[in-house]
Amino acid sequence: MPPSTDLLQGTLDLLILRAIANEPQHGWAIALRIQQVSNNVLQIGQGSLYPALHRLEYKGWIHAEWGASENNRKARYYSLTRTGRKQLETELENWTRLAGAINLVIQEI
Amino acid sequence: MLSEWLSRLRFAVFRKQRSEVDDELHFHIDRQIEANLAAGMTPDEARRQASIAFGGRERTREECCEARPGWTVELVLRDLRFALRGLLRNPGLAAVAVLTLALAIGANSTIFSLLSQALLRELPVRDPQQLVVLDFGGAPDGHTHSEGGDRTGHQHEFSYPMYRDLRDQNHVLSGLIASAIATAGAEATWENHAEAVDAEMVSGNYFAVLGVRPAVGRLFTGSDETAIGANPLAVLNFDYWRTHLAEAPVVGQPISINGTQFTIVGVAAPGFRSVVWGRTPDIYVPITMQKVIQPDFDFLSDHRSYWITLAGRLRPGVTVEQASASLNLPFRALREQEFASSKDQSADARKHFVGASRLNVVGGAGGFSPMRNDLQMPLMVMMGMVVLVIAMAVVNVASLLLVRAANRVKEFSVRYAMGATAGQILRQLLCEGLLLGLAGAILGLAIAPEALRLLIRWMQGNSGDVSAFTPTLDWRVFVLTAIAMFAGSVIFSLAPAVQFWNPRLADALKQQAANVPGGSLRFRRTCVALQIGFSLLLVVGAGMFVRTIQNLRNTDPGFATGHLLAFQLAPELAGYPGPDVAPVEQRVLDAISGLPGVRAAGATNDADLVDDNRGGDVYVSGYTPKPGDDFEAELPWVSSCYLQTLGVQLVAGRLFNASDTATSLHVAVVNESFARHFFANPTDILGHHFGRPNRKGTDAVVVGIVRDVKHTSLRDPVLPTSYTLFQQAERPTGLVFYVRTWQAPDAAANGIRAAVAHIDTRLIVNDLSTMNDRIDLDIFPERTIALLSAIFGMVAALLAGIGLYGILAYSTAQRTREIGIRMALGAQRGSVVSLILRETLVLAGAAVVATIPIALVATWAVRSQLYGVSVTDPMVYAAGILVIALVAALAGFIPARRASAIDPCRALRTE
Repeated sequence: MPPSTDLLQGTLDLLILRAIANEPQHGWAIALRIQQVSNNVLQIGQGSLYPALHRLEYKGWIHAEWGASENNRKARYYSLTRTGRKQLETELENWTRLAGAINLVIQEI
Repeated sequence: MLSEWLSRLRFAVFRKQRSEVDDELHFHIDRQIEANLAAGMTPDEARRQASIAFGGRERTREECCEARPGWTVELVLRDLRFALRGLLRNPGLAAVAVLTLALAIGANSTIFSLLSQALLRELPVRDPQQLVVLDFGGAPDGHTHSEGGDRTGHQHEFSYPMYRDLRDQNHVLSGLIASAIATAGAEATWENHAEAVDAEMVSGNYFAVLGVRPAVGRLFTGSDETAIGANPLAVLNFDYWRTHLAEAPVVGQPISINGTQFTIVGVAAPGFRSVVWGRTPDIYVPITMQKVIQPDFDFLSDHRSYWITLAGRLRPGVTVEQASASLNLPFRALREQEFASSKDQSADARKHFVGASRLNVVGGAGGFSPMRNDLQMPLMVMMGMVVLVIAMAVVNVASLLLVRAANRVKEFSVRYAMGATAGQILRQLLCEGLLLGLAGAILGLAIAPEALRLLIRWMQGNSGDVSAFTPTLDWRVFVLTAIAMFAGSVIFSLAPAVQFWNPRLADALKQQAANVPGGSLRFRRTCVALQIGFSLLLVVGAGMFVRTIQNLRNTDPGFATGHLLAFQLAPELAGYPGPDVAPVEQRVLDAISGLPGVRAAGATNDADLVDDNRGGDVYVSGYTPKPGDDFEAELPWVSSCYLQTLGVQLVAGRLFNASDTATSLHVAVVNESFARHFFANPTDILGHHFGRPNRKGTDAVVVGIVRDVKHTSLRDPVLPTSYTLFQQAERPTGLVFYVRTWQAPDAAANGIRAAVAHIDTRLIVNDLSTMNDRIDLDIFPERTIALLSAIFGMVAALLAGIGLYGILAYSTAQRTREIGIRMALGAQRGSVVSLILRETLVLAGAAVVATIPIALVATWAVRSQLYGVSVTDPMVYAAGILVIALVAALAGFIPARRASAIDPCRALRTE
C-alpha cells in the first residue's frame, strides 16, 4: 500500500463536493469513492469525514436526506445544493490554477 | 454569503438530534464491517479493522457537535450555567458580592452621570464640534453684567454694538450668535395667570446657527433682529411649554412680558435649553427687546455695556487658530474706534484698552458655561471618591472570592483529576466573576436613575428652580459602567487564580494540597492593607467635607438667618413706570410690617448670602486715594428698616429712620471695614460725603457705622459696604424683601402673598423662601460633597469591615491546628484572642501609616473645596484612624473569639 498523502488543507471540502457532484451519496460511499478513484493514494480518515460533511451542510452547500442504502438500511444521503454546485466550480477553478502554478514552478526549477 | 448565514441560522434554530449523528456513524461502521466481511475477514477482524479505519468514534461525534452553528454560544452558556451553580452553592457570599458591586456601580453611574452632563456632554445642537466661544482681554472700561466664569484676560461679555460689528465683518464663521439671560426674571401673563420666567435674549440667527429646529411653529431668523424694541416675538422652551402651558396651541398667541405684548411664533425642539450650559430659560426673545426684559438697563446702543456672550460656528475647513487670527483684525480696529470716544486719552489708558486687546476664540462642543466652571472641581472630587469606592468594592469582592477559592482547593483538585485543563478552571473563575459583575452592574444601573433623581432634588433644596441636571443616564454612563464592570470582574475573579498560580499549579492541586501555597498569605495581607488604605482615604475625606459643611453652617454671618423670609418683587416688570416703583415698594413694606406675626420687614436690591454682588469704585470726601488704590465697595440700596430687620448692630452714629425720605438729605450707613479703609479711627468717617466718581446723584453723607456682616456668601470674607436708601437712589429697581417673623417663617408666606395681592394683583411675589433655604441652595456643591462623602465614608468602613472579616475568618480557620497546639501547650484563651487581634491591628497600623501621606496629598489637592478646616487637621485624621481601628478590631475580634473557643484535642486532629 502506498504511503497515504496528507490531504492539503481545505481540499477535503473540494473532494467531498466533487464526490457527490453526480449523484447523492452516503458518507461511507464518499470515503470509498475518494479512496478508489485516487487509486488508494488519498486515504482520508473516515472519522474526519463526518465533521466536514456536517460543516458543509450547515453552510448550506450540501443537503442531507435519509434514504435507503444499497443493502436496504437507513442511510444519510448527501447531495449538492445550488450554492454547493457554484462553490464546487469556484473551488475546481482555484484548484486547477493552483495545481497548474505549482506544476509550472516545479518544471522551471 | 447571506445564504450561508441563513442556512446557519436555520440549523441553529432547528437543531439536529444527537441520535441522528449516532445513527449515521453506526451505519458507516456497519457498512465497513460488511465490506470487510465480503473481503473475507473473520467477523472479529472485520470489526477491528473497521474501527481502526474509522478512528476515534467519540471524537468524531464531538467534532460533529463542534461544527454546529452557535457552538461557541452554547459553550459560553454552559460555562455560565456552571458558574451560576457554583455561586448559588454559596448564596450569602454571592449576595454580599453583588450588593457591594451594585452599590459601587450605582454610585459611579450616578456621579458620573452628573459629571458627564456638566463636563462631557456636547450641546444638543447640529455639529457641536464646529462651535467656538469668544472672549477677550483688555480693560472693559464700563459696566459689566456677568454670570461669572470670567478670568483675567478672558472676559466673556461683549457689548451689543461690538457683536453686530464682529458679526458683519467676519469671514471665518458661518454665523456668530449672541445671547444673555435675564437673571432677574421676567413675568409673563398667560390667560390671566402671571408667573416669573427666565428669559434668554438671543440674536436673530441664534437658532439657525445652532441648528435647533422648532417643535411647533417657527424659530427666530435674522429678520427678527431689526431695531431696538421692534421685535416683540417670543419662542418658548419645550419644557416650559409642556409643564406650564400643557402643550396648548400657542403659535400666533399673544404673551405679555413685563407689560409688553409679544407674539409667540413657536416652540424650540425638546432637549434644547441654551448655548450656555446651566441656563434654563423658559422663553426666548430677540435680543433687541432687552429694554423690555431688563427695564433697569439700557444696554443695546451702549458700547460700554458688556452683557452678552458670543458663540460662533466655524466655516468648514477653518481652524480655531485661523478664526482667531482673522477675527482679531476687526476686533482691534473696533477697540481703537471705541477708545477714540473715551474720556481718558492717556497713554496708560490706551495701553490697557487698546494695547491689551485680544480676542480669544476657544473651540469646544460644550460651549461656554460659568456653572460648569463652578462645578468642575466639586464633581471631580466626587468622582475621585467614587473611584475609591469602586476600587474598594473590587478589592472586597476579590478578597471574598479568594477566601472562597481557598475553600475550593479540593473541588479544583477533583476537576483536575477528571482532566480539566488550567485554562478551563481559569475560564470558570472568570465566568463566576463576570456573572457577579454583571449582576452588580445591572442592579447598580437599575438604582442609578432613582438615586440621581433624589440627588438632583436634594441639590435644589426647597427652591422650585429648574435644575441644569436631568435624571437620565446617557451612553457614556453605560460605556463607563461596562468598562468598570468588566475590568473589575477580571481583576477580582483572577485574584484567586493569581494566588494559586505557580508553574507546578497542576501538580500542587493534583496532590490535593491542603497547605495553601505561600504566595496567598502575602496576597491576603495586600488585600487587607488596600482595604484599610482605601477606607481611611474615604473616611478622612468624609471628615474633611463634613467639617467644611459644619463650619459653613456654623459661620456667623453677623445676623440671624432663622425666622427670616425672603422674596423678590419687581414692580417695573409688572408694568409700573419708573417714578411709581419706589412708592409701591414702600407700600408693600408698610403692609408687610403690619402683618400679624411679622417683627420687621426690610428690602435691598443686593440679595444677601446668595453670591449676588453690586458694587463699584467710590470716593470719600477728605480722602485722597493713594496711587494704585483701586478700592471697590459693595453698594446696596436698602429700605430704612433693612438693617434693623437683619439685626445688623450699630457701632456709631445712627441707622436710617422714617425721617429719611426720597427728598431729604441723601444719607449713607457704612460698615466698619469700609470706614477703616479710609480712616484709622473708623468713627472719623461720620459726616463725610461719599459717592461714585462722576455720578452726582450718588453723593450722600455718612451718618452711621454698623458692624461687619457677611454678604456675598458664608464662604467669602466681609466686603467693605456702604448702604444707601433705595428711595434716594439714581433709578428705580426691583428689590429683595426680608421679613423677620415671630413664628416659623413659612407661616407668614400666605399673609405676605395676600398683602401684596391686595395692593396690586399684577405684582408677583417671586421666589418666596426662607433665608436658610436660600443659603442651602447657594452652598449646594459643599452640601452635596459633604453628604456624598459621608455616605461613601460609611460605605467604605462597612466594606472594609466585611472584607476584613472574610479574610480574617478564613485565615484564622486555616490556623486551627496551630492554635490547637498553642492551647495544648498552655496558651490561654485571652492570649489567643490577643495574638490574632495583634496581627490584625499591626497590619492595619502599617496600612494606616502608608496611607496618611496619600491622604495628605489628596486633601491638599482638594483644599479649594474646604472651608475652615486645615489640610492637616489632626482631629479629622484621629477620628478617621479611630474609625478604621474600631472596624479592624471588630472584624478581627469575631474570628479571634471563635478561634479561642477551639477544643485543642479536636483542633489537633483536623487536617
